[in-house]
Amino acid sequence: MGRSVELARIIDGCKSGDADCFAQVVDRYAGRCYGYFYRLTGDRDLSDELLSELFIRLVEKIGSYKGGAFESWLFKIASNIFHDHLRGKQRRRRLLDARRAEIELEPDLNESRRSDMSEDRLDKLQLQLNRLDADTRELIMLRFHSELSFREIAELRSEPLGTALSKLHRGLKKLRALMEG
Amino acid sequence: MNDQARENLVEWLKQVMDAESAEAANEDIRAGEQLLATYSAPKPDVRTLTAIKARMVLAAARRHRNIRMLRGALAAAAAVIVIAMIGLLGPDSTSRTPMVHAAIIPAAIWESDNIEAEDLDLAYFTSEIRRIEAQMQALEAGDSESHGSGTLQELEMELMNVEIEFWKG
Repeated sequence: MGRSVELARIIDGCKSGDADCFAQVVDRYAGRCYGYFYRLTGDRDLSDELLSELFIRLVEKIGSYKGGAFESWLFKIASNIFHDHLRGKQRRRRLLDARRAEIELEPDLNESRRSDMSEDRLDKLQLQLNRLDADTRELIMLRFHSELSFREIAELRSEPLGTALSKLHRGLKKLRALMEG
Repeated sequence: MNDQARENLVEWLKQVMDAESAEAANEDIRAGEQLLATYSAPKPDVRTLTAIKARMVLAAARRHRNIRMLRGALAAAAAVIVIAMIGLLGPDSTSRTPMVHAAIIPAAIWESDNIEAEDLDLAYFTSEIRRIEAQMQALEAGDSESHGSGTLQELEMELMNVEIEFWKG
């Protein structure tokens, strides 16, 4: 209860243009949103760019937020930004180049051992995620990073709950198989 | 995954599949999510976050300025509309003197079948023209009392004067 009251206070502050409240929103959600963008793009610079765009759009749209789950509202904007990004020709080319570079790196990852074990595992997950189709990958990342309920995710994606559950189940099962394979 | 997202997944799954499959799918999803949790995504750079916060403050200031400008423009537009409405629909509009259309030609002449008879000026000029025409014909035939080019010129001048006066009204 205390958390939601605090969040409501921060959102009210954002609506009136309070710089401290903007900073608090960034501190609360930047990590999760950045993780979402990074897992979808595999590009840190691009994720920085998309994250920045997300919070600027938050400033522009905060007046239209009328309550409800703030995370759902925020990740809806994040999802729209990601789709806008995919539609952009230049950015799409950049993403394809990044993915091509990742595929070229794949043998090195399998053959060489890295001193930083966590970074190695991180890259492996990123590679296997890229083997899933874009829609399933986004659904998995939305579920994981937004921490929304399945019902909220289904609403956010404008698809039936059963469809979202089924896609997520198949996607996670495939991801596990890829990671173990 | 927070508590909000920890809804009864099996119950949702049972709505789209049988109980046994729902249990299996639940296990698959839990295991998949645990796998994701072991691979943490990188965190944004502190400098990036600082830059974002600064940009947000600037964007908020710009937004407030734009809203103020928009409100000013809307107020000006509303004032223009109100003034225009007062001008069009104000109390003076009903008491305004109605426009009267005056006829240049008198109604009696306009409705007459014989304009020459009704208009006295026209009747006068017509009779003058006829008189001069008769005089000219007599001169041309050579039976006038006063012969010579001077008389003919006088008549022509008189005819011209009549015409000028006629067009002057």
